[in-house]
Amino acid sequence: MLILRLALRDLFFQKVHLICNIAVLAGVLVPLLVLFGVKNGVYNALIGQLLSNPRSLQIDTSGNTTFTTADAELVRGWPEAGFVTLKTRSQFDFVNVRLDGGRQKRDAILIPSGAGDPNLPEGVQLNASSAAVSAQLAEQLQISTGDRIDVITQAEDRPRQLRVQLAVASVLPPGGVSGRAVLAQIEVLDLVEAFYDAYALPEHGITEGRSFAQRAAVFEGLRVYARGLEDLAPLQNRIEAHFGIRTEARTAEVQGVLNLGRNLNLALLLTASVASLGLAAALVFGFWGEVQRKRQVLASLALMGLGGQRLWLFPLIQALVSAALALIVSFALLGLASLIAEQLFETGLAVGGLVQMTGAQGAVIVVLVMLFVVASSLFAARAALGIDPATVLREGAT
Amino acid sequence: MAYVLSIDDLTVTLGDAERRFTLRAGKWSIAAGEVIGLTGPSGTGKTLLLELLGMLRAPDAGRYRAEPLAGETGAPQAFDSFWKAPNAIALCAQARARFFGFVPQAGGLLPFLTVAENVEISQRIAKRPDPDWASALLGELGLSQIAHLRPGALSIGQRQRVAIARALAHRPFCVIADEPTAALDPENAQAAMGLLIEAAQAGGTATLLSSHDFPTLSHFAMRRMALQITSAPHDPNVVSTLVPLEAQKTASAPQEVSG
Ligand SMILES: Nc1ncnc2c1ncn2[C@@H]1O[C@H](COP(=O)(O)OP(=O)(O)OP(=O)(O)O)[C@@H](O)[C@H]1O
Ligand SMILES: [Mg+2]
Repeated sequence: MLILRLALRDLFFQKVHLICNIAVLAGVLVPLLVLFGVKNGVYNALIGQLLSNPRSLQIDTSGNTTFTTADAELVRGWPEAGFVTLKTRSQFDFVNVRLDGGRQKRDAILIPSGAGDPNLPEGVQLNASSAAVSAQLAEQLQISTGDRIDVITQAEDRPRQLRVQLAVASVLPPGGVSGRAVLAQIEVLDLVEAFYDAYALPEHGITEGRSFAQRAAVFEGLRVYARGLEDLAPLQNRIEAHFGIRTEARTAEVQGVLNLGRNLNLALLLTASVASLGLAAALVFGFWGEVQRKRQVLASLALMGLGGQRLWLFPLIQALVSAALALIVSFALLGLASLIAEQLFETGLAVGGLVQMTGAQGAVIVVLVMLFVVASSLFAARAALGIDPATVLREGAT
Repeated sequence: MAYVLSIDDLTVTLGDAERRFTLRAGKWSIAAGEVIGLTGPSGTGKTLLLELLGMLRAPDAGRYRAEPLAGETGAPQAFDSFWKAPNAIALCAQARARFFGFVPQAGGLLPFLTVAENVEISQRIAKRPDPDWASALLGELGLSQIAHLRPGALSIGQRQRVAIARALAHRPFCVIADEPTAALDPENAQAAMGLLIEAAQAGGTATLLSSHDFPTLSHFAMRRMALQITSAPHDPNVVSTLVPLEAQKTASAPQEVSG
């Protein structure tokens, strides 16, 4: 397209003006990009800290309410809920653990878990005869994945102790569940509780006691993990409202970080809006002034019959190309700024550094800036259309 | 593609209630290869007439047509009706690109293109690429050596020659030159006008030029027409009328011919 080529030739012929426009755009864009990147970096670090600890998503029921497996199923069906498990009476969570064939024994707590539990490493499945062990327990008893462990419980009034053998499906990483702990399905905990409640458990060699068939499986509580941080508060409200109970969760802490994020976004939006007002004024008058300055060129093209209706493309193309170049410069400077920032500040932000931006965010910014610049150049485009080609005859100058 | 342009009572009025200026272009025609020199005191409407004929300004009344010469191909063009079409701007732009070439008083060149590209541009716009003719023009106008330079590096006379080459490169029907030599010294003025007329005739293009410069005009064979104020001296309705002058070869005081 001839007009495209001419617009580009003219743009790069007048390099000073091109550089001016790029500087104006980059001067506004770069600080905003850096602010946005830093906001992302700080916010992502805070969110990352929260997410690295599954307890941030955890909701525990408290108080004297009983729950059934049907209740657990119901909560599992809610969209805000991730992993859901029932809990037994907490005083019965303590057990002794021994590596199969080993001599040492350690006390540990038994935690209900299962597939989807955020405390388990990705992809680890548990069944009725497998468990995951905490790093501390694994270290003290030299347990590794694939080993078998004995979970041993005794009760004063029972002549025999309960010994349940479990295969170790996973050893949790050191940052995971703290202390000595065994994570097993609720069925294992329920078994321990039945033992305490003096039921006969023939398949574990305990023949004395009440018949297990008469036992109604009723649980002391629910532990629910929200799908995401945003789901925590709604999920907690829903559980409390539905069961009429109180729950414990780190909602205040999580909401604090989420609100901080929202406020930072708002502040950034406000800053960007004010900056773009100024930028719009600079660009609108800049582009318009450019057309006035190039009246002779545009009139000359119109005189020779180029354009008619197409002449408005001339400033538009130049604006678009200037914006594209300004974006390239701005992102390059953002990269430089983030490098310098990493060097200057001891941030201790592990995840991705101080200045962060995803490709999608970058793409959205590019599109927004382009649209903004096109809108700013429309006034100039109109002015270009209004130029009388006879100007060349009347206002003679090269 | 050789045409004859015919003008019949083309009229335009400008201004407001305080002062009105009316241009009457009369009835005449110009055919391929012809040269018309337009003279008249300042403010009599020479530029205005060239704007009308160059499809830069709409007339208020009258006929303006282009007909192919006998035995030539090409469709007749009703230029005066273009202005009434809904897409008038595009139609007139297209007519300028195809039928006309312009030599303004000063340059009008594109500063970001080289001399060669400035000449080529009118071919591109008219979609009539003809590199041989473009380089022949550059040669004829003595621009071959400076074809790679940009207008900023040229003298005014050189720029004017580039403008002449550009106005002829797309083989327009008619080249319209408004005081093409006004910025040049007498020697260069005569040379430039000679080149314009010669190159136009070589390309089969009609030439319509305005000038104050009687000494220069007198060196060339051409039809002469003049604009003169025909209204009363203090009449706020100024009327300027185009009248033919006797065709002439040598310098002499313009002599009016009735009719
Ligand atoms: N837009 C306009 N509105 C009103 N009057 C105009 C307008 N443009 C031109 N005129 C008038 O038209 C008349 C002719 O102007 P024009 O520029 O064509 O004269 P000219 O013969 O080319 O003069 P010069 O030799 O000085 O270039 C002038 O009297 C001018 O005042
Ligand atoms: Mg004039």
